Amino acid sequence: MRATIEVSGLRKRFGPTVALDGMSFTVRPGRVTGFVGPNGAGKSTTMRVILGLDAADEGHALIGGRPYRALRSPLRHVGALLDAGALQPGRTARDHLLWLARSQGLPAGRVDEVLERVGLESAARRRAGGFSLGMRQRLGIAAALLGDPPVLLLDEPVNGLDPEGIVWMRGLLRSLAGEGRAVLVSSHLMGELEGTADHLVVVGRGRVIADTGVADLIAAASRDRVTLRTAARAAAASALDRAGAAVAATGQDALVVSGLPPERVVAVLNADGVPFSEVAAYRVTLEQAYLDLTGDAVEYRGAAR
Amino acid sequence: MRTYLHAEWTKVRTLAGTGRLLLTIIVLTVAASATASALVSCTAEGCGHDPGRIGLFGVQVGQAVVAVLAVLAVTGEYGTGMIRLTLAAMPRRTGVLAAKAAVLTGLTLAAGGVAVPVSLLVSRRVLLGNGFPPDPLDPTGGPLLRAAVGSVLYLALVALLSLGVATAVRDSATAVGVVLGLLYLFPALILVVSDEDWQRFLWKVSPTNAGLAVQATTRLADLPLTPWAGLGVLAAWTAAALLGGGLLLRIRDA
Repeated sequence: MRATIEVSGLRKRFGPTVALDGMSFTVRPGRVTGFVGPNGAGKSTTMRVILGLDAADEGHALIGGRPYRALRSPLRHVGALLDAGALQPGRTARDHLLWLARSQGLPAGRVDEVLERVGLESAARRRAGGFSLGMRQRLGIAAALLGDPPVLLLDEPVNGLDPEGIVWMRGLLRSLAGEGRAVLVSSHLMGELEGTADHLVVVGRGRVIADTGVADLIAAASRDRVTLRTAARAAAASALDRAGAAVAATGQDALVVSGLPPERVVAVLNADGVPFSEVAAYRVTLEQAYLDLTGDAVEYRGAAR
Repeated sequence: MRTYLHAEWTKVRTLAGTGRLLLTIIVLTVAASATASALVSCTAEGCGHDPGRIGLFGVQVGQAVVAVLAVLAVTGEYGTGMIRLTLAAMPRRTGVLAAKAAVLTGLTLAAGGVAVPVSLLVSRRVLLGNGFPPDPLDPTGGPLLRAAVGSVLYLALVALLSLGVATAVRDSATAVGVVLGLLYLFPALILVVSDEDWQRFLWKVSPTNAGLAVQATTRLADLPLTPWAGLGVLAAWTAAALLGGGLLLRIRDA
């Protein structure tokens, strides 16, 4: 089976609300694909459609070329974490995974293996109802890994994790992709994906806004700008302005210059005898690049902004 | 299907509430039957009472717990959101409902298989002590054996009816309300309605009144339906509930 998720032209309405408006993207093996967008952008709905839980009005979603409902023992093909709280509190962690294993014809020994991989072996015989959110997330990850699937689909897996848990989760996602799996991870916080995702599918209002590599996205948002540190801010600004650059002040002694490459900036300043201490390529953060992209697509914006 | 059954059985087996509910079914059924038997007595001229209905009276009480057990098998998953995990792991939804139905039927037959014979044995001792003639109390006699087997089947049908309703409405309180309403509304209505034709009609469509005809061992000719036909009425309700629930489960988003 090809380790891919192909989503094409999904449309879905809930009453008057358009949840999915032509959602299309492909998740490829061997990398972590971040699925990012503001709340209400359609991330969870898309995941539910991929898993055959919700039916789309139009379009289709395929796992390794086949619709989810056509998969026998689907957890051997796709592992998913949708909602870590979705378990019956009276059952122990081990029993929770045991019924799942039985549903896929997997041996009970597999349950102990995944409990160990997520670090829950000592809590295996405790009732899941008493687990912290972080422990539930780990149990949910264990359930996703149960069938050793080539495709993983995780909805907000970092939610509720403590700093140590976040570091663990990042390492796990990297290693899963390193094993050649296709990993789709949703988040409404771009910062959570910095250093984890290789590729991004950015969504807003039920459709894809950008489908791009993380490095490309940052480069594009940075737009070949140059940061300049100088004590003579006014002189530098007028010299660069005369040379045809656009200049914006970003601090007491800092300017951001666009329209001129770094070498030209240095040459212009030297020619006018303007002193400066630093010239560097301007890099936006992933968060900033994301905000630039989704500026139009945020559905619920605070009134104060 | 085997994996679905294995999964659903594992779910039921690993919840502490299952054992408690099964025990409650048995205890309540036997206790209510014993109480009913203690409250009737016969005169020297004879007995107007039906030993089947008295000895198995507890089934009318135990059925409420059977309904709760069956409802929780479905709504316990909707209430927590675990149903999404279930349907992601087992995407053939009719198969999930069938597996739940099979496991539930097994559990109810087991609980009923204990509660019903024990009720009859306890009732027999009490009735004999009350001066009941021993003949109609012979448990191997045709009508009483039919009443016993029929009562166990009655409880299984109530479980499946509840399963179907719960699958359709997806909420514990609503489902228990609807099922108990179905089970106890008709007998109450029949008491209120004065018109005899209406009474007969309500009796014939009532899952409880018609269904419990299977417990009758005396004056069978007075019944609007034969005992097995009466149980058939309950079976029809059950089939409709399962069909409706199954259909909704298939077409609705989880």
